[in-house]
Amino acid sequence: MADYALFLGCNIPNRLPHLELAARKVLPKMDINLIDIPEFGCCPEPIGIQELSRDAWMAMAAINLCLAEEKGLDIITLCNGCFETLRTVNTELKNDGHHKEKVNKVLSKIGKEYKGTQNVKHVLEVLYNDIGVEKIKANVQKELKGIKIAVHYGCHVLRPSAILKTDDPFQPKSLDELVNALGAESIPYLRKMLCCGTGIEGIDKENQLWMVHDKLVQVERMKADCMTMLCPLCYIQYEMGQLQLKKEPYKAQFKVPIMYYPELLGLALGMDPSELGFKLHRVKVDPVLQKIQ
Amino acid sequence: MALKISSEFRKEISKLGEGFSINYCYQCGTCSGGCPALRYTKVYNPRRIMENVLLGFKEDTLKDPVLWLCTMCHACLEACPQGVKVSEILIILRNLATQIGSYPEHLNAEVSALLDYGLINPGSGAIQRRRQQLGLPEVPRPKVDNIKKVADETGFIKLTGYKPKEE
Repeated sequence: MADYALFLGCNIPNRLPHLELAARKVLPKMDINLIDIPEFGCCPEPIGIQELSRDAWMAMAAINLCLAEEKGLDIITLCNGCFETLRTVNTELKNDGHHKEKVNKVLSKIGKEYKGTQNVKHVLEVLYNDIGVEKIKANVQKELKGIKIAVHYGCHVLRPSAILKTDDPFQPKSLDELVNALGAESIPYLRKMLCCGTGIEGIDKENQLWMVHDKLVQVERMKADCMTMLCPLCYIQYEMGQLQLKKEPYKAQFKVPIMYYPELLGLALGMDPSELGFKLHRVKVDPVLQKIQ
Repeated sequence: MALKISSEFRKEISKLGEGFSINYCYQCGTCSGGCPALRYTKVYNPRRIMENVLLGFKEDTLKDPVLWLCTMCHACLEACPQGVKVSEILIILRNLATQIGSYPEHLNAEVSALLDYGLINPGSGAIQRRRQQLGLPEVPRPKVDNIKKVADETGFIKLTGYKPKEE
């Protein structure tokens, strides 16, 4: 069992608790032991708070890093945004003495000190690099045969690649391989690397929804049974987006189930769908579940 | 109005974070070619922003709300053949814009939630009940005082004009 401090962030616990449920129930089955640190706060958010003040963003992120250091644990994140913030700040503070000194001067006011002893990992890295495709394959009880899946990575698990170092920034393959390991089929589709647009949601919702729209068109065109991803913000855009796209000027009727990868993994490991929070999905996942039964 | 060209803004940016890389920009437009924000908003254009910095159009660049239409996907930074950290430079520009009070209104709500609750999405009673039904533990409760102290120490409270919520 590998121990990790579970970093939930804001959106998973407070908007998408079924994603948290899947992670908590499924990851331990792959020998990932999740430990709660209740004082963890917002990462803080990389496409809002960082834009206002990078210095404040770094110092606030360092509070979370210190909490993990105090427990001697590496952090696992379930969200691309939390990952980008915590991995970036951890890397910069580890490698840049000037930044570290500046941040520690601020942290001294709350009796904390950043040391740089721990690592930050995205759940994608833990599954792909640490657990590995072969071990996942060996644990599959119920192959997801015949399920065609459109994989969406989300930007902030991949880029900036020089800092995040997870996969190729434009042609990643880790999540595709993790999907195929379950007996399902990751299908190619146009616009696969198109951003979900969360970053401009607050300013230009209309165009952001066109971004969501254009990806969903391609996913449907390839007759995918569902999309899968590992970021709650992308998840919200593609799931809630389908409801919002019914209106003018889009008038689009999409029915693409959105699955958080740990949910698919749980089903493949033989869990009963009733153990997971599928009833909380805003786009019904029943067609996928029926195909698996 | 005649625009005055100068190297002052470029020099200022060069001293901040990854800003020095802007000196390698030769305006090829690779950043714009792969930019989803340009494709969808039609008005955000990373090459144009780099050009305006190189020409020294500081005020026009920082006060233009278009600056906030980048989705931060970082495709430009990866694609640039000259190693210009385009999206990182954009963050520098947005930080400078914030200092002159030019940033989108909706971010104030995010700042308030962060400093009031320690979470930008603090949740509701309904979500707590749903979590209970799912057998999930209580939502994390960060030490807000620590976050506020750090925010104050870095000048973030003064910068954003944050006021604590009324009790």
